[in-house]
Order: sequence, then C-alpha cells, then structure tokens
Amino acid sequence: MSIFNRAEIVDQNFRAKVAKGEFPFSATDESAIRNYPPHVLVDVFESQVMSRHADLSARRLRERAASFYTIGSSGHEGNAAVAKMTSPQDMAFLHYRSGAFFMQRAKQYPGSTPLYDMMLSLVASADDPISGGRHKVLGSVELNIPPQTSTIASHLPKAVGTALSIQRAKLMNLDSHLASDSIVICNFGDASANHSVALTAFNMASWCAYQSLPLPLLFVCEDNGIGISTPTPDGWIEQSFRNRVGLHYLYCDGLNMVDSLRQTEVAVRIARKKRQPVFLHMKTVRLLGHAGSDIESMYNTTRNIETTESNDPLMHSARILVENHILSREDILNMYDSMRRRIDRVGEIAIMRPKLLTAKEVVASVIPPMKVEKSRPFPDEDTRKEAFGGDWKQLESKHHMARLINLGLVDQLLQYPEMILFGEDVARKGGVYNVTAGLWKKFGSRRVFNTPLDETSILGAAVGYAHNKFIPVPEIQFLAYVHNAEDQIRGEASTLSFFSEGQFTNPMVVRIPGLAYQKGFGGHFHNDNSLAIFRDIPGVIVVCPSNGYDAVRLMRTCMDLAYRQGRVCIFVEPIALYMTKDLLAPDDGLWTFPYPVATDSASFGDPIVHGKGDEVCIVTYGNGHYLSQQAVAKLGGDYKDAVKIIDIPWLWNTDKTKLMNAIGDSRRVLIVDECRKTGSFSEGLVTDIVEYYSEHHKPLPHLQRLTADDCFIPLGVAATVVLPSCDGIMGALQNMMQKENGQSKPSENRA
Amino acid sequence: MSQVSSRKTALVVCPGRGSYGRNELGYLRRYGQDLTGFWSEVDAFRKQKKQPTVTELDNQSEFSLSLHVPGENAAALIYCASYTDFFSIDREKIEVVAVTGNSMGWYTALGVTQSLPGMAGFEVANTMGSMMQGGIIGGQLIYPIADENWVPQADMKKNLEGFIAEANQLGEAYVSIYFGGYVVVGADDKAMSFLMKALPKVQDRFPMKLPGHAAFHTPLLRQTSEKAFAALKPSLFHKPNLPLVDGRGSIWQPYSTDLEALYDYTLHHQVTQTYDFSKAVTVGLKEFAPDVVILLGPGDATGGALGQIMIENKWLGCQSKQDFIARQSQQPFVLSMGREEQRSVVV
Repeated sequence: MSIFNRAEIVDQNFRAKVAKGEFPFSATDESAIRNYPPHVLVDVFESQVMSRHADLSARRLRERAASFYTIGSSGHEGNAAVAKMTSPQDMAFLHYRSGAFFMQRAKQYPGSTPLYDMMLSLVASADDPISGGRHKVLGSVELNIPPQTSTIASHLPKAVGTALSIQRAKLMNLDSHLASDSIVICNFGDASANHSVALTAFNMASWCAYQSLPLPLLFVCEDNGIGISTPTPDGWIEQSFRNRVGLHYLYCDGLNMVDSLRQTEVAVRIARKKRQPVFLHMKTVRLLGHAGSDIESMYNTTRNIETTESNDPLMHSARILVENHILSREDILNMYDSMRRRIDRVGEIAIMRPKLLTAKEVVASVIPPMKVEKSRPFPDEDTRKEAFGGDWKQLESKHHMARLINLGLVDQLLQYPEMILFGEDVARKGGVYNVTAGLWKKFGSRRVFNTPLDETSILGAAVGYAHNKFIPVPEIQFLAYVHNAEDQIRGEASTLSFFSEGQFTNPMVVRIPGLAYQKGFGGHFHNDNSLAIFRDIPGVIVVCPSNGYDAVRLMRTCMDLAYRQGRVCIFVEPIALYMTKDLLAPDDGLWTFPYPVATDSASFGDPIVHGKGDEVCIVTYGNGHYLSQQAVAKLGGDYKDAVKIIDIPWLWNTDKTKLMNAIGDSRRVLIVDECRKTGSFSEGLVTDIVEYYSEHHKPLPHLQRLTADDCFIPLGVAATVVLPSCDGIMGALQNMMQKENGQSKPSENRA
Repeated sequence: MSQVSSRKTALVVCPGRGSYGRNELGYLRRYGQDLTGFWSEVDAFRKQKKQPTVTELDNQSEFSLSLHVPGENAAALIYCASYTDFFSIDREKIEVVAVTGNSMGWYTALGVTQSLPGMAGFEVANTMGSMMQGGIIGGQLIYPIADENWVPQADMKKNLEGFIAEANQLGEAYVSIYFGGYVVVGADDKAMSFLMKALPKVQDRFPMKLPGHAAFHTPLLRQTSEKAFAALKPSLFHKPNLPLVDGRGSIWQPYSTDLEALYDYTLHHQVTQTYDFSKAVTVGLKEFAPDVVILLGPGDATGGALGQIMIENKWLGCQSKQDFIARQSQQPFVLSMGREEQRSVVV
C-alpha cells in the first residue's frame, strides 16, 4: 500500500480500528444524545458511510479511468446532520463536499436513488439525472437541491436571494416554489469564506437582518482548516464571524454527530422560527487530500496527515454507537463492508451506462426547453387604465425612450404578478434617469424596491428570487458596475440550465443603463462602452434597443422568454438615448415614438430594417443606429435611396440567416459599433458575414467597421472623440461609395 | 480490504395477490417440506380463527375459485408459498442484498426479513387478507400502459389517467398499483363500472377486472387501515435483517429502521395509497445493483412486470420484450422460483 494512497489508508484504518475498538477521543459534550433515538444516530452514520464509500469508489474507478471526479466529502460527513434536521422543502445550495448531506436528504424522498445517481455523476454518464453527464454536481429537483457549479462560493449571494424571497412571496400571495415556513441552506468551506462573493453575501445577510428583514438562512461553514494547501489561521473563522451584526453564530464539532445534530437543531430553529440568518461553524477535517490528483504529502507532514486521519468523523460516529450500545463493532463493520460491496456493484453498472458523445448532445441544455406553451395574457384594458392613471391618455402621444420604457414596465408589472423590480435607487427616486419613476408608488415596495450598493448582491438576489418562481428584473445602475458582479451571470445564472439539463432555470431580465454619448458628462464609469463580457456566455440573451418604441417591444419579448423558457436576458439601455427626442434639429421630435399597442412585441432574433437602399448597408445597434439615421439624413436624398440601415437589437442572438437576407445584394456593408474595436460585437459580425458569403459561394461585399477606439471614455468635451460619430459615419459612407465607384456619387452609380 | 464474495447477489421479489392459481395447487406440499414445523403453527393459527388450514387449502384435489381466490385464503397461501421459497434459496451461492414485494408481497417481505419474525408475518398477512371477509370494498382492474412490445407509452398512461379523472365524477377511482407495463386501478362500484365500459379494449384482454380483489392501496380502504391498527400491535415489528424496499421506493435498512415509522407505513400508507411496485423494483435495481432478481413463488406472473420495469430503465441493455426474452434465454436475470428450470439455479 502506497503512503500516497490515503484513500486506502483511511479505509483500512477504519476497519482495523473499529475491529479493535481503538476509537479517537472526543472532549465534545455528548449529553444531547438522549434527544436522539438510536435509529436516528444509525441513520446519520449510514449516510456518512454511503458518502465515504462513494468517495473511495470514485478513487478506485479513477485508477481505471472510469470516473472523472475525485473531490470528495471525506471528513465532512458531519453535514449529514444538517440534512437530517431539515427537509426537502428547505432549498439547499451545496458545495462539493456534501455527499453525506445528499445521501441523508435523499432518504426523505421515497423512490430516490442517491447512490446510483452519484455514481452516474462520477462516471459522467448521460443518464445522470441532474446534469446528464455534463459535470459532477450535487443536485436534484425532487430534493430541492439546485446544482452548484461553483467552487468559489459564488452560490452564496443567491442563497441570500432565495431566503429573502420566501417572505416576499408570502406577502405577495405568490404561488411560490418554497413554503412560507421553509428555510434556505448554504454550505461552503473555510477557505471559501474569504472569497469576495462570500463576503458580499454575509454582508447582505447582515444588512437585511440588521433592519429586521426576515432572512431564514442557514450558512454552514465547514471548517477543515485548509484551503487546498494553504492553512486557515487558527481561530480565523470564529473571530471573523462570531460578532457579525445580525448573524447568529453557532459552533459545532462536525466530527461528532451528536453535537452536529444538536447545534444544527438549534440553528435550524432560529432560522425557521425567528426567520433570521445563522452562521453555523462546523469543524471538520479534510481526508484524502483536496482531490485525487492532490498529493498532500508534498505540502504537509506525514504526522499532520495521520493526526487528521485519526480524527475521522466516521470513527467518532462508530465510537458513539458502540459506547452507547446502539451497534456492536461487528454490526458497524458489517454495515461498512456491505455498503462498500453495494457501491462497487452500483459503480460497475454505472460505468456501462451511456455517455454524452456528440457536441449536439452536450450543447442541448445550454438553452432550457420551452416550459410554458402560451404567453401570459396581456392585462385587460380596465386594469391597465387604473394602473396607468393619468398616463393612460399619454400612451398615444410620442415619447422618448426613458418614458416609453417606464410605461412599458407598468404593463409588464401588470402582466406578470411574479415580476419584481429592484436595484440601486429604483424605488422612490425612480432611478438615476427616472426610468422607474412612479412604479414604486403604483406597485408598492414589495414589487419595486431598493437594494444596497452592491451589484453582486443584486444579481445574486435575482438568481435566488428566480429559484422561488419570481421573475426578477434587477437594475445595474451603470454598465461599468456590472463588471465586479459578472460571475453571477457568467458562472451562476447562465450555467444553471446547462448543468441541470434544463430542469432548473433562473429567469430574469437584467436592465443595465449603459454605453456612452451622454452629453456634457463623459467619464468612463458612467459611459462604459464594453459589452464584451456578455459576448461569449452561452445561452444568455443580450438586447440593446435604439429607440423607445423598440425598447418596449423588446422588453415584452424578453419577459415572455423569461416566463416561458426561463431565459436570462440582459437588457442594455443606451443612456444617451433615454431623453433624446430629436434627430436632426432641435424640437424635430424625430426620435420620439408612440407607445406600442398591446399586441406588439419584437420577434426574437429579428433584425429591424430601415430603408430599401441596396448600395450600402449599415449594420448597427443602439446609439449607432441613431447616429446612422442622422448621417444618412444629413447626406441627403441620394444617400437615403442608396442606404439601408439594419438595426440589430438582439446583437449576437440575431438570426443570422435573416440578417444576411436583409443585407441581400448590398455590395458595401458598413458596421457601426459604438463599443471598442477589440472584443466588440462587430468582430464577430464580420466573421459571420465572411463565413456566410464563403459558405454560399457569394462574392464578399466590401466590409468596413466603424468602432470606438480601444480606450476608456474621457471626461467632458473629449467624451465622444474616441467614439463613432455622425460625421464619421457620413465620411465612411462617402469613402465607401467613392472607393467602389471611382469618385462617383450614389445616384451616378445607379444611373 | 473487504471480503470478495463469489456468491451471486440477488434482489428478492415477493409476489402479490393472484399468484396462487390452478397450477400452484400443491405448491407447499411440493416445496415446503423443510418447514413443517412452521406449517403446524400456521395451521393452528388458522384453526383458531375458524379458517381452513393452509395445508388443507394447498392439498385440495382441485382448484376452486370460491375457496382459493378469496383474500382470507389466498393471502395465507401466497404468504406461505413465498415464505417457503425464500428459505429454499441456497444462501451458500446466493447473497440476498435486498427484498421487495408487490402489494401483499410487502407483508411477505417483512416476514422473510424477520421484520415480522416467525408467526408475526403470517399473522399480519392473514389479518390483512381477511379484512374483506364481510364484503369486498370496491374492486381492481388492470390496464396496460406499455405497448405489446413492453415499451412504456406515455400517451397510454395519460389516456388512462384521463379516464380515471372522468370516473371520479361518478365515484372514486385511483391508481392502486404501478405494475410494470400495467396500472392496477382501484375503484368503487360506480367508477369501476364506468371504467370497464369506457376504457378502450386493447391487447384482447384489457381492461380486465381482477376477481375477488378489493380496491387495495386506495383511500377507499381507510377503514381497513383503522381496523388494522386496532388488530395489529406495533410490538410485532422488528428491524429487518436485510434491506427492504417498500411500495414507495423507500429503503428500510437493517440497522437504522424506525420501527414506529415502519408500523405506520405498513398499516396506513401502504394500505390507503398507491403501491408503486415499479418504483420499488427500480430502486432495488439501481441502489443494490444485484446480479439477479429472484421472484419468489407461487407462480411467475410477476416476471412480465419485472421485465417491463427493466425495459423502462433500459436495465442491462433491455429495451424491448425481445431483448428481455433473449437475455432470459441466454443468462436469465429474473429467476422465477415458480419455474422449475429457474428454481433449480437458486435452491
């Protein structure tokens, strides 16, 4: 037996020491054992054994190249007590060392097959009922465990959101997923407690509890004292969390199942009855190294490793059962060995099950299936009249974008009772740009509310609320602010369908005022012009309207996709166009529009074509569309006839075939992209066009990009110099025509 | 290292009502000679209850619908036949890793795993089987939800559910048992009459009313459940010595079983709610991954349902009746002790 194979050593130690009755000493008070009938203790122990053997089996299968994941739960089996003290009605966001929790909870749902499912997951079988072979995740619809992909504590903010959603759903009489007396469980390691996302979640929990907002949330910090190879300083977790505002701190010895049951019981009671957040600090150990590939002896002494192994929680559990005459040592070994044989058999079946073999199969769950056949009916006229009040008569007048989005949100809030709108300053103030003005008054603080200035918490809350059947419409106040919270979209919201085979979704429409061109203002943080972070996230829909009329129609479609398909939509609102009314001259009102009729919504992916010219085609979006319209109008009549402008508000979700058809026979294509030259959407668009023309054996049109410089947006008068301008577009159009036609004007060319 | 066992592992399935038929007459006489002491106790118990003894029933020269089919006799015969078979399994070559049952087979499962040790198991089976002596409550019919190739058909199931919902406008009807490619429906007389007329005739035989069967595993048996609690004491129940899979697919483990919960499940949920035999077997297959499934006698009619459950789970590559038959002919996975050639592999 190799000294590197700690799995074998831990396995053999258990058998040998139980056989001899050589149990580890525990100073932990076990007087609470009288509260728990013997079958409860045996049940918990059995779940611990199931989890342990799943770990050991994974290691053995790995040696045969039959399993693909060896981060295990050994040493953390104390979390079975948390499952025992809660129920599947309590949603659980679990980290990867939660095998025992999973086994224990599965026992509460008849018909569960946790061992089989776990082994399918370890061998990446397409039959794995949660991820379909895409990843080893702990998850189950029936057990109310959304799968977590994160190894960096990024599941904590959503746990706060889900916990917050419970009371709000009750107050709103919403047909929510979670019962009104349920709690939310979220576990993580001591090392993960240092992550910024974790800290933001603790802060948000404290912020809520401090002002008595109900937050039935149980944080379980499983402290094994080490983060891969970096030790957690002694006392760090306790000193950091013991005195947090609003957060109940409890400690338990996770090696000792009696203490774990007792302290979890107390913690759950606080969370459930008082609806307050609890931080349960559970001492654990880490056995078998960080993962199968981690050779702990490279950074830890053999003595330390052996000391840790001597504190195996399974040996502590065995000691408790033997000392209290609940099971004999022989019984324990029988149970242990028969479980090993059982899991080995299950593993042998699991490795024969089918795997994902094609890209098509893998990609299938990036976009969730359509779950609701019909769109939600639009509110009736009387309801709308009442809600719009004095604005009702204004619907037929022309308005700028901010006003139209505001009116549109009224209809959306009426149409979707589960919609909530939140963010920084969106309530009483009505947002920085008045886009949400009056909504708080109309719909109340249950549906329109402010949040702390923390984008991670805002997006995390959106994911969390969505787990409880809300359709959140969070606002990120400025595009630049989304970057520090990006992972809540990239790592969490967007991946949920993929890692759950479309079984879990977190529908939302994230509103983000953004992009540049604000007059007399400037400055990077309020004019950020980079959408690049969203470009490569599979499954996420990104939309950017260029005018108020389309904005309302696009928002309706996004809400419909969120409602029916659980989609995650990013709705980027060009700030500079919020209040823009005029196109060419003061008071011309050419950029104001009427409110779209109730039945009018945008068709998903469709480009919007303006003009019929077939000599030059401008492909653009957002401010670029506005500037292009300006440019063509200023160039005059001939150009109006020669130029076609294609607005693509769906950006990279644009239907490529329809776009190419819209470009048609145009021999010149000018792409106006207000984002940076590098990494902007237009890069991909050029590629799409080139690929399309090549595949269809068509001569490539003349292509030109007009983009922002690779720069940040400066302040004041210089704010727009790095951006595409109307003059720039005009110049580009003229140059294109001249280059192609030898100094000719468009009309001459046509003649 | 754990000990490597050369024994074949087996999930044992205890059959339910309807398994003791004409061909099974004399089953105990043929196979139950090793348990004569136990039969004496069983017969004495029956005599005391003024019921014909199991030996008398089994020794009849002819099968009689009026004698062998009513619950108070059928349940006793089936329990004893299955009990005989279980203890005939050669444990030197077979390691039983879990036990499950269909319907009244649950009582047998409790008995053979010593959860209801000795006469306790028989007492429970006999008592529950005799509950309809004063008159049968409702009835059962069986209807397919798989095609003739044993492949589950979602639309067939949906259609049946639609008819059940319609029947509930007239009376009460429920899914009584999920039985592989079939659903057993339990209903009161009005609903039963409607269903027998309304359900489209399929596969020549269905809908088929099950003679002498009450609306087991439905809320119609609420009072039966109450009577059972009054008649049977919790002290009859002990921890099983092997894992048990119940009619919900829950596993009762030897060391961790909560006896109070087991008592409550057996006499309440199991009596008044759907018995999901398909799920029980599925859990048995997936969670214990046995080398074989042993179907205890009497009879072998449950073998088809086991094949259908395997097909539903694509177990061992079986995706159709042909696959299952081919598998069975080469290396049988389901060993029916009611079939002589398969019994010989087990005993």
